[in-house]
Amino acid sequence: MRIEVMIELLTPRKLVVRIILAAGALAVVMFICSLVGTESVSLKAVFGAADEEAPVNPDYEIFVRVRLPRIILATIVGGALACSGVVFQALLRNPLADPYILGISSGCGLGATIVVISGLNWTLWGRSPIAVFAFAGALGTVWLVWFVGRLTGKFHVTGLLLAGVVINAFFSAVIMFLTSIAKAEHVYATIFWLMGNMTEEDFLTLWLGAGFVVGGTTVLFYISPQLNALSFGEEDAKSMGINTARTRTIAFGVAAAITAIAVSLSGLIGFVGLVIPHGVRLVFGPDHRQLLPLSGIVGAIFLVVADTVARIIVAPAQLPVGVVTAIVGGPFFLVLLVKYSRKVSWLK
Amino acid sequence: MNKWWWLLLIIFCWTAAGFAIFGSIQHQNGGDTTLPRAAERIVCMAPNLTEIVFALGLEKEIIGVTLDSDYPPAALTKLKVGTFWQPNIEAVIAAKPDLVITLGFEQQKNIAERLKRIGYNSLTMNIEKVKELFEALEKIGAATGKQRRANELEYDLRKKLNNLSVLVSTNDRIKVLWVVQREPLRVAGRDTFINEMIELAGGENAIGSTVHKYPPIGAEQVIVCGAEVIIEPAMKHDDPAKQQASALQYWSRFKKLPAVANKRIYVIQDDTVSRLGPRLYEGTETIARCLKPELFAN
Repeated sequence: MRIEVMIELLTPRKLVVRIILAAGALAVVMFICSLVGTESVSLKAVFGAADEEAPVNPDYEIFVRVRLPRIILATIVGGALACSGVVFQALLRNPLADPYILGISSGCGLGATIVVISGLNWTLWGRSPIAVFAFAGALGTVWLVWFVGRLTGKFHVTGLLLAGVVINAFFSAVIMFLTSIAKAEHVYATIFWLMGNMTEEDFLTLWLGAGFVVGGTTVLFYISPQLNALSFGEEDAKSMGINTARTRTIAFGVAAAITAIAVSLSGLIGFVGLVIPHGVRLVFGPDHRQLLPLSGIVGAIFLVVADTVARIIVAPAQLPVGVVTAIVGGPFFLVLLVKYSRKVSWLK
Repeated sequence: MNKWWWLLLIIFCWTAAGFAIFGSIQHQNGGDTTLPRAAERIVCMAPNLTEIVFALGLEKEIIGVTLDSDYPPAALTKLKVGTFWQPNIEAVIAAKPDLVITLGFEQQKNIAERLKRIGYNSLTMNIEKVKELFEALEKIGAATGKQRRANELEYDLRKKLNNLSVLVSTNDRIKVLWVVQREPLRVAGRDTFINEMIELAGGENAIGSTVHKYPPIGAEQVIVCGAEVIIEPAMKHDDPAKQQASALQYWSRFKKLPAVANKRIYVIQDDTVSRLGPRLYEGTETIARCLKPELFAN
């Protein structure tokens, strides 16, 4: 498919309608999922005037302080991971790329592991040191990979990928070393964090997280025409008069930043950033102006549903959400792949 | 470049608005651990905490436990609020507790902090050493208005342990290899409460001090450690007799090891020795019986 054809296919009206429909679906899913849980909560009791008689209103606390924040968190994280997955796949021109491919996972994993094992105990604006270290570890690793990648040549995709893979492996080895000398409880705590750890956050954190993720996505959406060109190759993009180096730096930096925010909020949740962009691309086509917002919304829907499943399926206990995303996402993606791949030239 | 500045400004305003709206709420209702009165609805997030609270005579007050709390039997009838590793905060809140007791490491501390943020009282205990068990007894006793009972328990426990150590104390301490897992081989190191129990029971850890708490060891270390007794705690649902047989077979490869040569390999029930709680004495006695069976012959 030529780039001109692709761009003609997507009229602004079509795009807006699709985004509104997807956002509506997200709202419906969030509402339904907020009513599902191990404890039954009645909306009447939540917003009813139970305050006078009883000093505590468990319905209110479960719904507003636990379930709602968790659903909002899933929305933010799902959207961030799916969007940055789109960007990494376009930048690296590699269908296997996901937000973690350049070492973010092991970097933030290492940060979290260090905190858990050393038993650090302080808070920064109410955030546990795990989130802070995970964020710093993620950004630090991305910077390192980017730096090494540059040394291999001016934006050499292969160099960048190899640097990412090797740094990932190296940090994973450090994580394994640390967990092997740690106490059993610490090892378990780390493993749960590495499998994705969705808990309710306070509203300030959610507010800030949402602000940065939406801000970052806006930037990415703004440069999505350039991403379109880039995904067709360096030469094509240059011939269209695009400053490829600048586009790449912006896209790379912003995608890495929103991924770092997502992992510092919820641990490592795999699969969302890989499967959702592909799924959306297979169904709706490869134009990034549409792929980016739709992937963000679909990623949010997917993670909200997956997290709801994780909350209830082994009640009264809970599963790490990463387990659910992989188990649900894998087969679903395979179905999409078989059904739609003949229509799309991108994967060939 | 103008538009980027606009975006930056919007994000900045958004952040400022967030602090303005939510910044003050955050510190409003952090639950403190000192209650005005004794707790009446208690939730315990770990099996050994459940045992402690039951031992304090709070059978009526305890309303929620984790799935793995199986002792005393009355704990099985209590409301379940998730597992030790994956607690369910919704279930905890639905139980309307006025005190939630957790252990001190990440997964557990985390739920205590989240509950505090919502306004629930919680008590976080580090119980990794025998000394800390006694401290926890006192603190939980104080928080639940059962100081007297806690002091009695502590006194009783100390007395029994003392008597035991007088009974077993000889100059030759028996070298014990405490096997946590066979493949790969992992044993209890010196910096563990198991080590303390072994010493209280008149033994000595066959493994010297290590970086690891529960070091994985190779065949070489097994051969040189000179263990006179090998103890394997049996997993709860496994058949001890079966594990005993497989243990004998596994260890037969180290024929020179005194424990193997003298057939002193013991598989014991793990619940009293895997959690540090009020049944500390029972666990220690079980170990002592393995080390010096002649003292308990009567």
